[in-house]
Amino acid sequence: MDKAMGVEKRDPLGFPQWSPVRRRFGPDAPFFASGNMERELLAKQVALDIIEDEKQQLENMEDVEDREIFCPIVGCGAHLNSLDGFEDHYNARHTASCSVCSRVYPTARLLGIHVSEVHDSFFQAKVARGFAMYECLVEGCGIKLKSYKSRQQHLIDKHKFPVSFEFFKKTHASKKQRQKNQRKLSVHKTEEASSAMQVEEETIDGLVSAVSKLSTSDNSPSSISFGRRHTRGFTFVPRALQRARGPDSSPAGAKR
Amino acid sequence: MADENLPSHRRDSIKSSVGNVAAHRRRQHAVTVGKERREALVRTKRLCRVGVSGDAVFSLDNDMMIDEEQSVLEVQTISAVEELKITISYQGKGAVLKRVTALRELRRLLSRSEFPPVEAALKAGAIPLLVQCLSFGSPDEQLLEAAWCLTNIAAGKPEETKALLPALPLLVAHLGEKSSLPVAEQCAWALGNVAGEGKELREILLSQGALPPLARMMLPNKGSTVRTAAWALSNLIKGPDPRAATELIKCDGVLDAIIRHLKKADEDLATEVAWIVVYLSALSNVATSMLVESNLLQLLVERLASSNSLQLLIPVLRSLGNLVAGDAHTMNFLVAGHGTKDNFIAALIKCLKSEHRVLKKEAAWVLSNIAAGSIEHKQLIYSSEAVPVLLRLLSTAPFDIRKEVAYVLGNLCVAPSEGTGRPNLILEHLVSLVGRGCLSGFVDLVRSADTEAARLGLQFMELVLRGMPNNDGPKLVEIEDGIDAMERFQFHENEDLRNMANELVDKYFGVDYGIDE
Repeated sequence: MDKAMGVEKRDPLGFPQWSPVRRRFGPDAPFFASGNMERELLAKQVALDIIEDEKQQLENMEDVEDREIFCPIVGCGAHLNSLDGFEDHYNARHTASCSVCSRVYPTARLLGIHVSEVHDSFFQAKVARGFAMYECLVEGCGIKLKSYKSRQQHLIDKHKFPVSFEFFKKTHASKKQRQKNQRKLSVHKTEEASSAMQVEEETIDGLVSAVSKLSTSDNSPSSISFGRRHTRGFTFVPRALQRARGPDSSPAGAKR
Repeated sequence: MADENLPSHRRDSIKSSVGNVAAHRRRQHAVTVGKERREALVRTKRLCRVGVSGDAVFSLDNDMMIDEEQSVLEVQTISAVEELKITISYQGKGAVLKRVTALRELRRLLSRSEFPPVEAALKAGAIPLLVQCLSFGSPDEQLLEAAWCLTNIAAGKPEETKALLPALPLLVAHLGEKSSLPVAEQCAWALGNVAGEGKELREILLSQGALPPLARMMLPNKGSTVRTAAWALSNLIKGPDPRAATELIKCDGVLDAIIRHLKKADEDLATEVAWIVVYLSALSNVATSMLVESNLLQLLVERLASSNSLQLLIPVLRSLGNLVAGDAHTMNFLVAGHGTKDNFIAALIKCLKSEHRVLKKEAAWVLSNIAAGSIEHKQLIYSSEAVPVLLRLLSTAPFDIRKEVAYVLGNLCVAPSEGTGRPNLILEHLVSLVGRGCLSGFVDLVRSADTEAARLGLQFMELVLRGMPNNDGPKLVEIEDGIDAMERFQFHENEDLRNMANELVDKYFGVDYGIDE
């Protein structure tokens, strides 16, 4: 018999909200497998002297064999011994973190790409001069594009990435970061306000030099804002991306 | 082995290599035996090692046989089959005794170890001989021994079970009411093994009319025959074709017998009957309505509450679970009916507290279905002792149990959707459960590699983010490292989960997050 599937209610954003439904399983469903096994083990217990240890082993074996678990991170596919093993595997292999902005990436390669694109003024300089610097994120592809947006499009067109995918996500900063920024901000408020204004009016070359002032040696995220508000935990958005959004697009700080 | 003309050092090296080979073979054999043992233990077929009348008592041998013993057994089997062949053609004085003796010898060989020499027996041509021994009018002892041999031949690998095909019509025939009870029981056992093999054999048995006589054997109040017949029936009706289940419940006296046994029988018999109810409730709507209309539900709840036998609790719990899952009316009865409601929830809580994994998991499943019902159902669970137990399980139990518990808790927080309206939050429940620390358990599920669990976790997080008063949701989620857990999905291969996680992060943790701190 089939699972009783209720229709999930999607809110305007499309999120499938929790909807209570009764779940029914057929007698052969994997859900019942351990109970079935227990039945047979108990029935044979006396006749075949099954000791507790062996029973435990059998039960554990069944759980593992029926679940072929592979790491779900794109491009990994590592075989996991158990669901518990996933956490260890994830921490060992998928937590490359950026020392500048604390963003975390699932591979060293993606981290490297992030650092170049976001924290490297040299990278931005080359972009400004028209070099194709934005690498395709899929390992082995090798294609480079001239802008963040065109790389995005390439991922969607060639590699079936979802339209909503964003390599560089505008993200919050952690609570600690925000508190740090808050302190910095209150001290340098006026200074930064004026430099923000300045940067906005500058040309590309000016942008490049401003960016190089930020420099990757600074261990806290920039609190300069390109928009009208001072957003805490602000994240760097390349001017190229802003431009690509069109003149009517809101400043970096606004929500989508 | 070692050539005597070789110098001694050469001899030694050959000797040691032979020794290594033998040791290696033993190790390989041990691995094979280990695997086979596991399969044998888990199969739905049962070896008959002690006679149904209980009189043949002999020592059960050590199951770990090494190569040499196994081949000796095989040789003995082949000669036993040969001997049987001779006794069958023999028509003279004492023929029956000779035949029965030969059968008995073969039966002993087939009953000794966990892996009887079935292949050898089949190769030697045992089946046609055994079929002949089953012919009508044969003496009971002969029928009994032949059926016993067939039972154990059928208890092993699929090809071996299928070899019984020629014998099936006769085995079914000897289930008749004119047969002696031990004979009928042994035939039922053999047929139970055949039915346990797979749906093709089940179909064949059903079309040969195996169901009605087995059903009749279940009607008396007690006896080992009743129990064996019930077990064989459970194998016969387990589907996936639901027709057998429907046919069974319609047989005269069956419903009454099921109720009688669940009420009065000892735990062993009640266990097998409960398994029949499991399949009836899972497969046949006709059966389900008939069962629900009788007072079966009450009996099941009583058994669930009073028994301490894991064997019995599993099928009883599952029957109730199937009934609750399948039928809203049933659920209403169980949960609102006089007397049953409190007992039922209490019995489920007892299962949650049990040390047995299966009971915990399936009890949580049943509760999740009840929690998917009306507001009253949710309140019944919410106000019971179940919640503290569930919260504890959410943090400490193995994964599969945690997942079911998650369903219960989430279902408690969301009201039933009226028509096409959006399901509303039950704020009181959500706030209380989150206040008692359940959020971290859900975040753990988000981190797991299991898609269904991650989805559940994300959906619960959405409830918290959306519904917690004073916009506390995002802060609470952040404290539990929920943001980190969601950001993992950026490079997850499942698009659905990626989108869900991204939506939540964008909506609740956008760049403006934390501004008004």
